[in-house]
Amino acid sequence: MIFDIGNMSRRNMLKSASVATLLASSASSLLTPKRASAQGATTVRVLSVEDPFFFSMKAMIPEFERETGIKVELESLSYDALQTRLVSAFVAKTSDADVIAVDQMWLGQYLDNGWIISLNDYIAKDKDIDLADFIPEVLYSSNMWRGQIGTLPVAAYAQGVMYRKDIFASFGIAEPPTKASEDWTWTKYVETLKALEGKSFNGKALFPTVVCGSQPSPITHMFTQLSASHGASWFKSFPGAPWDFSPQLTGPAWAKSVEVYRQLYKLSPPEAINYVWFDAGTRFAKGDIGMFYWWTPYFYLVKNLGYMTGKKSDVMDKYATAALPKAKGVAQTVSLGGWSLGVPSSSDRQDNGYAFIKWATSKATQKKMAQWPDLNFQFSDFARKSLYEDADVKAIYPYLDVQYDMMKQGNGKITRPPVPGYTAVESVLGLTLNQLLTGSEDPKTALVRTNNLFESILKGNLMIPYQKESYTDTLDGAKDLIGKLGKA
Amino acid sequence: MHAPTIRSPQALAPVRRGFVRRNLPYFLIAPSVIMLLALIAYPLLFALKSSFYFWNLQVGPQPLAFVGFDNYVEALNAFDFRAALTNTLILSILGTAIEFSLGLAIALVLLKALAGMNVVRALLILPTTIAPIVVGFLFRYLYDPGGGLVTWVLQSLLLPVPAEGILGSPSTALAAILFVDIWQWTPFFAIVLYASLLAVPDEIIEAARLDRASAWTILMRIKLPLIRRTAIIIVMLRFMQIFNTFDTVLVLTRGGPGTSTRTLGYSLYEQGLVNFNVGLVSAQTWIAVLIVNIIVVLYVFFAFRNEEW
Repeated sequence: MIFDIGNMSRRNMLKSASVATLLASSASSLLTPKRASAQGATTVRVLSVEDPFFFSMKAMIPEFERETGIKVELESLSYDALQTRLVSAFVAKTSDADVIAVDQMWLGQYLDNGWIISLNDYIAKDKDIDLADFIPEVLYSSNMWRGQIGTLPVAAYAQGVMYRKDIFASFGIAEPPTKASEDWTWTKYVETLKALEGKSFNGKALFPTVVCGSQPSPITHMFTQLSASHGASWFKSFPGAPWDFSPQLTGPAWAKSVEVYRQLYKLSPPEAINYVWFDAGTRFAKGDIGMFYWWTPYFYLVKNLGYMTGKKSDVMDKYATAALPKAKGVAQTVSLGGWSLGVPSSSDRQDNGYAFIKWATSKATQKKMAQWPDLNFQFSDFARKSLYEDADVKAIYPYLDVQYDMMKQGNGKITRPPVPGYTAVESVLGLTLNQLLTGSEDPKTALVRTNNLFESILKGNLMIPYQKESYTDTLDGAKDLIGKLGKA
Repeated sequence: MHAPTIRSPQALAPVRRGFVRRNLPYFLIAPSVIMLLALIAYPLLFALKSSFYFWNLQVGPQPLAFVGFDNYVEALNAFDFRAALTNTLILSILGTAIEFSLGLAIALVLLKALAGMNVVRALLILPTTIAPIVVGFLFRYLYDPGGGLVTWVLQSLLLPVPAEGILGSPSTALAAILFVDIWQWTPFFAIVLYASLLAVPDEIIEAARLDRASAWTILMRIKLPLIRRTAIIIVMLRFMQIFNTFDTVLVLTRGGPGTSTRTLGYSLYEQGLVNFNVGLVSAQTWIAVLIVNIIVVLYVFFAFRNEEW
């Protein structure tokens, strides 16, 4: 068929245009119906990161749908892809989700920009939420910003030690303690590792430990546990008021931490310089590592040979967990992190969103997630105190006492301050640490340079001097808020 | 006195038809032009405007202040950005040169009527069809210090492999990424150059042979000059593609160790999609656009200075 536009009369042209416009508008209304009618009032769209908790949460969703009659549209993304999609959507003032997974580092940015709603009112009106059951240190570290609870924790992580019982027994090395003590120091930790140096076990050469060396986030997450344990702080004054983000990386605690981390790298497989998150866990699961420390999800992930394979690892029944060492004379600070769920302000089904969050973070759902047998049982990232005392769950995850102790010593706002612009300074710190592992540069010199870069970035980001109002952000303040909202 | 001339609709119709017919090519090409402007000019102009503002989504959702050239100064003063620029130029220049040379050699071999060449031609195109991120994961395993194929081959040949692994040492990591690019994209040169060489008339080659010209002379004096235009274009395309290397770096090294494998593409990703510093990443984008355009314009000028194109 040939359309001869040149011979078309004006009347016919107008007629055709009108019909085309009508058809187009009808078609577009059919093809892109309004969001509410397409999703229905009984739908909730959940956008999550694909961390281990996601898989057990996904398995429980049919129960939520049965209980509430709300249909769940669940989608998962990688860490970077999730943040990119969320930020792009928020900047464009749209969102394709009613519930989103939020990393603790994003909370201040999301609440300050009004991208997610405060859950204070929802929680205050909710008699069933049992806010007091949440570990205060977790809520304080991951969910609170300027007196608002922006999210609730679906998976809470601390850091702790994993070691090989059989190897320690074979070489007559004393097992590390399960409770924090003044004797269990980082010096003692390194000494213990050195006792394994050059040894072989079952015909296989051993590496005393393994670290994450890849920049920027993996190395920063592992290193900052060490630096927080040594009393290092990032800024002059944060989280307590008045907020002053002048960097403090030139102090002795930082230099000492770098020195210890470099020692740990020397006792690790050399290729650990490129190890990202699970590479260290996978290496431990292969069976040639004596002891290492890392986020608590690895307490169960190392049971698998390879990430999410469900195939039992060589160390399945041969490892145990222990308390994190501390620095002599310094109060321990354990790194807390994890994933929480929040409701975007752009969602038109915020009630459904809150209902899903309440369900996913409830004691009952978290227990069922822990009891989900697939992948060799893999969920013990509880933020609720009661689950650490639950006999059914403890029977599956024997290390929960150790993990709970770590949680109670946690402070995520000191180990990795969730301040606006955090990722920019983390990029610089991660790069410096990565260079220091293989280079010969003096740590003090590198830290002075990094401190100057921090200062330059923070000044550039209008954080020095701090332009906004400070907030006295303390654990006691968090406990007060929990009590107030719990009673309301 | 004459009555005013009123042209009937019938009289107007040929005028309208003539106007439409005369301008039909413009009407037909207009959607493409509008689309190009929307997809290329608008983002670039938007980035140019953003590059003069302090705009960091971690600090606030809107641009906060006009800062002039501060973002450009910050970008050029950052040691990691300078390292990225150097690494990118090394990768682009070496990668394009090596891939072109190897591709040409393979194309010349493909011209020979040897047994199994049909299968070789089919297999040759495979690497270019794989997504770079998948290639990255593939080579992560091949480079694995604990038994990766590449590591094993090098060790078997008694060649030194760093203790940290090929990707873990600043002295070998960039070369390893270059090797991945060469592995994936040399076949692209081979296939395109092979197709161009097929178009070289046999009579000319036969005549040269009768004149006892050597194979080298035939290549340099006849074949290469005849495929010159194609070669110039694909070299330019690959140079620009390698200049944007990102996926393999993300998967293999995340720019490390230190800054040894950081590329401009990775820097833009980090500033834009991890740090959300819109102002700074816009400035970095414009620096990259200017550099690549200056190089390409100079290249095209010298490559085509004696001919029309």
